[in-house]
Amino acid sequence: MTTAVATRPAGRVSPSRRRPHTASSRRRLAPYAFVFPFVALFVAFSVYPMLFTLQLSFTDWRGSGAAHWVGLGNYTYLLQNPAFWSSLGNSAAMWALIVPVQMVLALAIAVLLDNAKTRMRSFYRVAFLVPFVTPLVAVAQIWVVVFDQKYGAVNSVLNAVGLPDVGWLVTSQWAKPTLALLFLWKTTGFIVIILLSGLQAIDPAVYEASSIDGASRLRQLRSMTIPLVRRTLLFSVVLQTLAIFQMFAEPFVVTQGGPYSSTTTAGLYLYNHITRADLGTGAANSFLLVIIVTVLSLGFVRLLRSED
Amino acid sequence: MTRTRLTLTSVVTQVFLVLLTLLFLAPVVWAFLSAFKPANQIISDPLGFDPSQITLDNFERMFQDVPIVRGFVNTGIVLVLKGGLTLFFAPLAAYGFAKYEFPFKDLLFGTVLITLMLPTIVLIIPLLLEMKELGWVNTYQALILPGAIDAFAIFWMRQVIAAVPDELLDAARVDGCSEFGIFARIVLPVIKPALAGLAVLTVMNIYNDFVWPVVIASSERMSTLQVVLSSLAQNITGNRIGADYATVTGELLAAASIALVPLLLIFIVLQKHFINGILAGSVKG
Repeated sequence: MTTAVATRPAGRVSPSRRRPHTASSRRRLAPYAFVFPFVALFVAFSVYPMLFTLQLSFTDWRGSGAAHWVGLGNYTYLLQNPAFWSSLGNSAAMWALIVPVQMVLALAIAVLLDNAKTRMRSFYRVAFLVPFVTPLVAVAQIWVVVFDQKYGAVNSVLNAVGLPDVGWLVTSQWAKPTLALLFLWKTTGFIVIILLSGLQAIDPAVYEASSIDGASRLRQLRSMTIPLVRRTLLFSVVLQTLAIFQMFAEPFVVTQGGPYSSTTTAGLYLYNHITRADLGTGAANSFLLVIIVTVLSLGFVRLLRSED
Repeated sequence: MTRTRLTLTSVVTQVFLVLLTLLFLAPVVWAFLSAFKPANQIISDPLGFDPSQITLDNFERMFQDVPIVRGFVNTGIVLVLKGGLTLFFAPLAAYGFAKYEFPFKDLLFGTVLITLMLPTIVLIIPLLLEMKELGWVNTYQALILPGAIDAFAIFWMRQVIAAVPDELLDAARVDGCSEFGIFARIVLPVIKPALAGLAVLTVMNIYNDFVWPVVIASSERMSTLQVVLSSLAQNITGNRIGADYATVTGELLAAASIALVPLLLIFIVLQKHFINGILAGSVKG
């Protein structure tokens, strides 16, 4: 009788007469049932593989046959391998090509879209997000066609204004900037929205006060807006750092890591171990990448704290 | 004086924004229009567009040569099942984390946060081996289960649910509502806007996912849309020299255009929820 009342749906007016211990034990057990499906998948497909990678990274296993313990051999092999360092260098170069430009551009757009005087703000918000929602592989293919040296639309435009062809994807000096442009084009709209969320959290009274003091827009931007969104800005930098060091599909589809490995990013280099079935080395490479990414992220977090 | 300066600023602003918008939309618009041009004109005159010569040749040839329908079907199956799992179980687990106390809760949630920081690619090798062990290579369960209840979704939903007032939940409890009933009848309706945002993001992530599908389901029967698309792009590099270049390019642009459409439509219909969801979610974060 009492339990029947207890399970009665919400909205009934009748006061409940549950036994207190039934209700509280149910309340104590409920969260386990709620988090269980997640925890089961999480342990099976995140925690277990993680520990497995760690073990694998100390062996020479190639996907079949017996695995031999090689200690730190895979790690020392990678750390002494110029190809490993050049993959990191390529990712670092991509970072340098992308992050500063993206932050300045996204902040400029976000400030304009935050200003109530700007017209068609909601249209622009949607338009800038279009690249973000288009499938990366489709976009990467479009890049292959548009930046083709002989037949591409970009070189046609250059020729039309009297400039010579550029080997966007086939020369090692242009391949990186061309891929960086793809990444910039694809993700800037998302960073705009994140920065916009930071800007909208600023109390408008701050601006009003300084307008009365006669501060110009530019000075307002430098002395107030940027310091106030610094946290959001650094959050965006961390987000993009993680994304750039994992970058894989862009070079995989557009350049296959070439020309002359100039676009073999850290993510693509790691993938190449898998295709060669060199799983032990790949696992070690995974952990080195985790360490690097964690150190970078912690560095940015510390930067955030120290300037507070 | 101030008025004229104001208008000048707003004109400059608009010009800047319009030019940027054109740059942001140009590649997509160009690909879309070019897909309807005769293949040889795409490369002989990449910038021209003659409406009188619009043709569906590229699409017809692409449907013949490329298993794109198969790709759409596979992506659709994964989308429904994986998306359904995430959209139901992520808020449920987040509710457990946000509104209950239990042992090891902080440790568990801390682990979730750490996985948010890790590159997805790190898990690829061990997951691949795990799938081989389970005999799941080239199966739907391999495409669906790993990463089905996304750590970011839990993190986001926990923030949203934490903001639901406890009084509301206690009132339902007093009325005799079961703990799950509180979630289904009180929490879910309250967080609906954020759920819509999560739905867009989830659909987008699954639809665009590439790294895991290309590793685990590369057989033609199991290929998702993105894997089908990427094999086309590799064709093009192989055929660069031959006369085939125009044909392959035409097919490629047709395939890319078709792949863009569903997601763009979903985004345009639900963009308000999506943008507001991100705006609301990251202010607190």
